[in-house]
Amino acid sequence: MSVVEQQSPALPEPAEARGLRDRHRGLIALTGREVARVMKLWQQTIAAPVISSFLFILVFGLSLGSRISGIAGVDYDVFIVPGLVTMAMVQAAYSNNSSSVFQARFDRYINDVLASPMKSWEVNLGLSLGGAVRALIIALVLVLLALPIVDVPVHDPLVLALAVVLALTIFSSLGVIVGVYAQSWDHASFVQNIVIVPLSFLGGTFYSVETLPSPWQEISHVNPLFFVIDAIRHGFLGVSDVNVWLSLGVMAVLAAVMIAWSSWLFATGKKLKA
Amino acid sequence: MDHATTSPPALELRRLTKRYDDGFLALEGFDLTVPAGEFFGLLGPNGAGKTTLISAVCNLIRTTDGEIRIFGHDHRVPGARRLIGLAEQDINLDRFLNVEETLLYHGGYYGMERAHAKRRAKEMMEIFDLSSKAQTRAPMLSGGMRRRLLIARALMHEPPLLILDEPTAGVDFELRLDLWQYIRRLHGEGTTVLLTTHYLEEAEELCNEIALIRGGRLLARDSADGLRAHYGVGTLADVYVKAMAESGGRRPWTRSEDLAQGARSSRDGATA
Repeated sequence: MSVVEQQSPALPEPAEARGLRDRHRGLIALTGREVARVMKLWQQTIAAPVISSFLFILVFGLSLGSRISGIAGVDYDVFIVPGLVTMAMVQAAYSNNSSSVFQARFDRYINDVLASPMKSWEVNLGLSLGGAVRALIIALVLVLLALPIVDVPVHDPLVLALAVVLALTIFSSLGVIVGVYAQSWDHASFVQNIVIVPLSFLGGTFYSVETLPSPWQEISHVNPLFFVIDAIRHGFLGVSDVNVWLSLGVMAVLAAVMIAWSSWLFATGKKLKA
Repeated sequence: MDHATTSPPALELRRLTKRYDDGFLALEGFDLTVPAGEFFGLLGPNGAGKTTLISAVCNLIRTTDGEIRIFGHDHRVPGARRLIGLAEQDINLDRFLNVEETLLYHGGYYGMERAHAKRRAKEMMEIFDLSSKAQTRAPMLSGGMRRRLLIARALMHEPPLLILDEPTAGVDFELRLDLWQYIRRLHGEGTTVLLTTHYLEEAEELCNEIALIRGGRLLARDSADGLRAHYGVGTLADVYVKAMAESGGRRPWTRSEDLAQGARSSRDGATA
């Protein structure tokens, strides 16, 4: 009996044998795709939130600022800028990822990613980074636009950087999680409109929580957005309602919870795969 | 006897079971082996379990039980997924990407180096006559072009196992012939092809071996000639009708003659 030998396709060479960039080409491609989506829709993803936040700075800062005495020794028009930047960032990170992931599930082009040889954490990270990049672009543009009008310092760059990274981790991951669970566009926008926006306003974007009477001051301390805004404000202005390390600690715990939750979803395929 | 090398099958399913969350049992203890280099057809009515089987192989659903091996590798190993190219039944192209980007990002997901991906994308666009639409976004393409792009995407990373889930559904006759010709060529070059279709003449025209499935169970598998001989009928349409009727799939109010007549007419392009 004669048998023609057939060559069985080998698996791609072990990841360890290649460079970091080669090992994570899938992650780089998926991140590139998410950023490309942000840039293609720049009128919606960048321009709209920048304009609305900048209008807040103009209206609340310049028109009302002169009538409101400073808070914690900081002029009111300067005081509100970190909170508005934070609000714009967290909303952008959340809404970008929730809509991108939900759209990918709805149109089922997420299957192209799920069927690929990418690891679950790479898919999770790649989908998360799009919102983070969008949020950073918005923050940068907003600060640059605000600078000629109000003199916003950067008091503690390390704290600012750490707080921004943690805030983006929390809300990028939350966006991915909601995008995975959502059954309709309403579900994704519900969290944005009913949870994130109100908590941003109540978290001290426009005021110091210390000025609130009891029990509102204590109630504010269970609002996670309060700690996010307070830490970023400390990074910019050097003033905060609570110790900045407490805020960073709370944010770190929240970030860990969000990462664990989204990682579990992608590792098990729950809600992503029937 | 000469020296024989046993090559692992392109696809091997052992006791594959999938029960959906709502309790529906789509596959139960399903065994199937597709040898490397085969052009293998899966035939069965809607709900037979064809798409569930494909989704399980491609990591798109969570399996309940069983084992899936791709060229001998566990399908859960990320590298094993690199060996599969999938064109799904529904057009699921990224609405934000144009034709060229669709191919390039897919290449990236599958670990292709950028320059290689660019060359391959150009080649795919030429083969599938999409070069003039390279910068056109997927939703702006015609139905036929989207179907071509879907198959080009599946082939982008040069998979040795190509899975086509009803690739010619809703495609005009001319494009269907073009696709047949290209898929035949790929098979001739050594690619294993797993094809699901409702078109009996498509299965007969293309496949070396055909499996009939229904209700998550394998009813029969053989060449078209082998199936005809086994069921003692003259056409694949009659094989289909007989196999389905024997499996309990016949509707009680439908006469077997009507079923056979309906299935025979499918040879002109209607679905079984």
